Amino acid sequence: MDPIEIGLWVSAGMMVMVILGMRVAFAAAMAGLVGLIWIFWAKKGMEWDQLGWALTVAIKTAGQVPHSKVSSQTLSLIPTFILIGFLAYYAGLTKALFEAAKRWIAWVPGGLAVSTVFATAGFAAVSGASVATAAVFARIAIPEMLKIGYNKQFAAGVVAAGGTLASLIPPSAILVIYAIIVEQDVGKLLLAGFIPGAFSAVVYAILIVGIAMIWKNVGPPVGGFTWRERFASLPAALPIVAVVVIIIFFVYNPFGDAWGTPTEGGAVGAFIVFCMAVFRGMRLAELKDALLETAKLTVMIFTIIWGVLIYVRFLGFADLPGAFADWISSLETSPMLILICILLAYAVLGMFMDAIGMLLLTLPVVYPAVMALNGGEMVSAADSAFGMSGPMCAIWFGILVVKMAEFCLITPPIGLNCFVVAGVRPDLSVQDVFRGVMPFFVADGVTIALLVAFPQIVLWLPSLAG
Amino acid sequence: MAGSSAVLEDSSLLSRLDRGLLKLETIFALVSGIAVFMLMVLAVWSVGGRKFFSTPLAGYVDWIEAAMPFIAIMGIAYTQRMGGHVRMDIVIGQLKGRALWAAELLSVVLILLLMLALTWGAWAHFDRSFDMTKPLWSRDSSIDIGLPIWPSKLVVPLAFGVICLRLVLQIWGYGRALVLGLERPVAVPLVQSAAEQAMAEAEHLDGRD
Amino acid sequence: ATDWNASVWGKRRAFTEHVEKIAELVSEKTDGEFTINVSYGGLSKNRENLDGISIGAFEMAQFCAGYHPDKNRAITVLELPFLGVSNLEEEVAVSKAVYDHPAVAEEMAQWNAKMLMTSPMPQYNLVGTGDPRTTLEDFDGMRVRATGGLGKAFEAVGAVPTSVTSSEAYNAMESGVVDTVAFAQHAHLSFGTINKADWWTANLNPGTVNCPVVVNIDAYDALSDEEREALDSSVDEALDHYLANYGELLKKWDSILEEKGVEKVEFSDDVIAEFKEKAADPAREAWIKEMEAQGIPGQELYDLVMETLEKERASN
Ligand code: NA
Ligand code: NA
Repeated sequence: MDPIEIGLWVSAGMMVMVILGMRVAFAAAMAGLVGLIWIFWAKKGMEWDQLGWALTVAIKTAGQVPHSKVSSQTLSLIPTFILIGFLAYYAGLTKALFEAAKRWIAWVPGGLAVSTVFATAGFAAVSGASVATAAVFARIAIPEMLKIGYNKQFAAGVVAAGGTLASLIPPSAILVIYAIIVEQDVGKLLLAGFIPGAFSAVVYAILIVGIAMIWKNVGPPVGGFTWRERFASLPAALPIVAVVVIIIFFVYNPFGDAWGTPTEGGAVGAFIVFCMAVFRGMRLAELKDALLETAKLTVMIFTIIWGVLIYVRFLGFADLPGAFADWISSLETSPMLILICILLAYAVLGMFMDAIGMLLLTLPVVYPAVMALNGGEMVSAADSAFGMSGPMCAIWFGILVVKMAEFCLITPPIGLNCFVVAGVRPDLSVQDVFRGVMPFFVADGVTIALLVAFPQIVLWLPSLAG
Repeated sequence: MAGSSAVLEDSSLLSRLDRGLLKLETIFALVSGIAVFMLMVLAVWSVGGRKFFSTPLAGYVDWIEAAMPFIAIMGIAYTQRMGGHVRMDIVIGQLKGRALWAAELLSVVLILLLMLALTWGAWAHFDRSFDMTKPLWSRDSSIDIGLPIWPSKLVVPLAFGVICLRLVLQIWGYGRALVLGLERPVAVPLVQSAAEQAMAEAEHLDGRD
Repeated sequence: ATDWNASVWGKRRAFTEHVEKIAELVSEKTDGEFTINVSYGGLSKNRENLDGISIGAFEMAQFCAGYHPDKNRAITVLELPFLGVSNLEEEVAVSKAVYDHPAVAEEMAQWNAKMLMTSPMPQYNLVGTGDPRTTLEDFDGMRVRATGGLGKAFEAVGAVPTSVTSSEAYNAMESGVVDTVAFAQHAHLSFGTINKADWWTANLNPGTVNCPVVVNIDAYDALSDEEREALDSSVDEALDHYLANYGELLKKWDSILEEKGVEKVEFSDDVIAEFKEKAADPAREAWIKEMEAQGIPGQELYDLVMETLEKERASN
């Protein structure tokens, strides 16, 4: 049997295991291991006396992957970002942010909802995880909105949608994972998420203001804060600014002075939040708790990473990604139409799968195909199908895919953010949240369409970085 | 996408073994968490040293790479105990009673086979980098400061060994549930609905903001 | 038919041309009976290519000695600073002599590997930002991206070797984490460090890295006589192709410097001699002592390099 055929069978087997509920990491690793055994055995003509050899070589090849692939400086960003998120709770950053946003911008129609969106965007600048962001703001923002007479479904929808911003605005664990899989510059990808993240927040805000102006009872403005009160709210939210500034400095040093790599920027950001948490009286037991939670989430993500990379190692031997890329670029259909189909396929897949698992499972095959579609990894903007160079296409596609994955956090049937918001608020059912979040589908649809139509929104910042 | 799940306890031998192993797993996971913390400290040291004292930390990358397997792998059994490795539960969530336990049992048996193989493979990876006759027992070293790599390679088969023990307990747990037709078996993570999970997540965040 | 996999990394570039060429030649000579499939990073991480050979996962691989000195102690002699190798032909000659030494063959055999050929690299000169550094005092406190023996050499004159991976070298330079980067010319081009540079050290020639191509012994032994002959006889041809190709690149180098406005820095003989004395001599002595202590004939290997260099020069 030829390697590509083996590749297809094994990939199909993996999807079956995943759908039937085997833990994603182990299903991928299992597929990779079985695939390696099969491919080595096929190389020896499937002779029975060669099966032992094939088993040994496959197991030793797969056994290298966990150590080999996790020993990476770039991947060390992931635990750091997760730690920042957990420490931020102890530092009380969420409440401080919401308070500041409220005092400064709640005077517009739909004021508290708009404040919530910008506060989640701000928190996104220290948190790498969407679900955690939604959970935190469900507890802080929804009660305040309900107190002044907001529609409760709408209030819940705002929080569920706002939570998705965490994965675009840096730091973002999911963007780091994308960068690793496709071997692109992490710094540029993180930078690229900034404007689309902020852009999404602005689109949400415009939508809210529009809704509040049409239906007066949805969300009245909140005024009456003096300038003194406004400025008084800033110091507590300051660490966020510090972290944002640090990350900007480390990713793209604006004044040409020596700072460091994005990896170091993440760690220094975490350290500042840690100091803040200690200052606010975090105890040792709480630190231990935060470290255990960080470990659990980190291990969960890394197990998928090395599990999938065993499968990817097998794909390397089977050369399936190459074959798929050749097939996609041989299609007569226009590249843009194929790209849109791929994005829609992600929207469907994302309804049923966890974002990180989904990206890790599909990117090894889909990414080379998209690059081939654009004209290859090294193509110049002039010769490309999408009007951008290979590296820029990698960044653009990454942001599109992550935005897609985030979109799926608020779509039925298992949009996790909605479940989390409903879980935090006993007075809200999941159906309530899904109903409230519906307008934001429109906003996200508009955002994604604009990002596809105007790639400059994504690429402007990273192109400045050289 | 199951995140965490509940594990029930009682006074049976299985449950006592479960809690005993949990202690070891917790220590491993804590090592992982502390390593993340050290990573942060190391970066601050490196940046500070370079920026303010013109004395960059030698071999910064080598140290990080050596620390990553501790961070990324040591907690693998703890996460399995807590049901923390993600999966799609859209199909398995529909199953009840013996059908559910049979499906879970099949899944953990497959994982145990996989992890036994990978424990061997990871051990072989360690073994190739280890040579008692060489200085520092090293037959593989890092790129900048020549750190021996075998200690961080050894972490992997160790952590994999612990998850193999955990999987044996889970096979026992699910097998017992299947044979006896139990409703709520001990020592195994129980499937939670998305709503239950969200509730657990929310409780976890209580008092943190 | 025999189907081999060759594990290299990165993208196809001057550094991998001999592997591509040997695959082409072997297939031609055996009428497609013996094929070598070159994989760029799909089969292994570059630092684990020797592991893959040892396991038997693939039959041919390229690696660099400095990536993991403890895996290949004997050939690190070729990465000692200021060996005096001045062109790629000499690099080929000294590598070949060292690869044929029994101590090297024995160490490689522990990995089930047999040396096939080297990937000759020119001297790793620096590109830097800011004012050109022209004296040894200027090197004091310089943050330089240089690995292995080269890093140690710069350390000996007060510079600070700062580790970043080759793919992060550009970013590190841009963000000021390092102010100089040591690479061969093709790497300065492919990693973009030349685009950030203000100057280039044209004649410092502090040393280079050594990156052999090896084959798995079992697979090599399992070849038919005809296939083995096809492989062995293609080595020189593949290397010639490599040298010609790299020569083209070096010819263009000066015009690239001019185009990017990069200043060529020439060091005086005195400065180079002083650098050598401070960096090369102690490094060599330490290396020989360390190798001898482990039962590797360090002195003999070093002498072999020097003799081969002399012979090579005499013959030209
Ligand atoms: Na974020
Ligand atoms: Na609820």
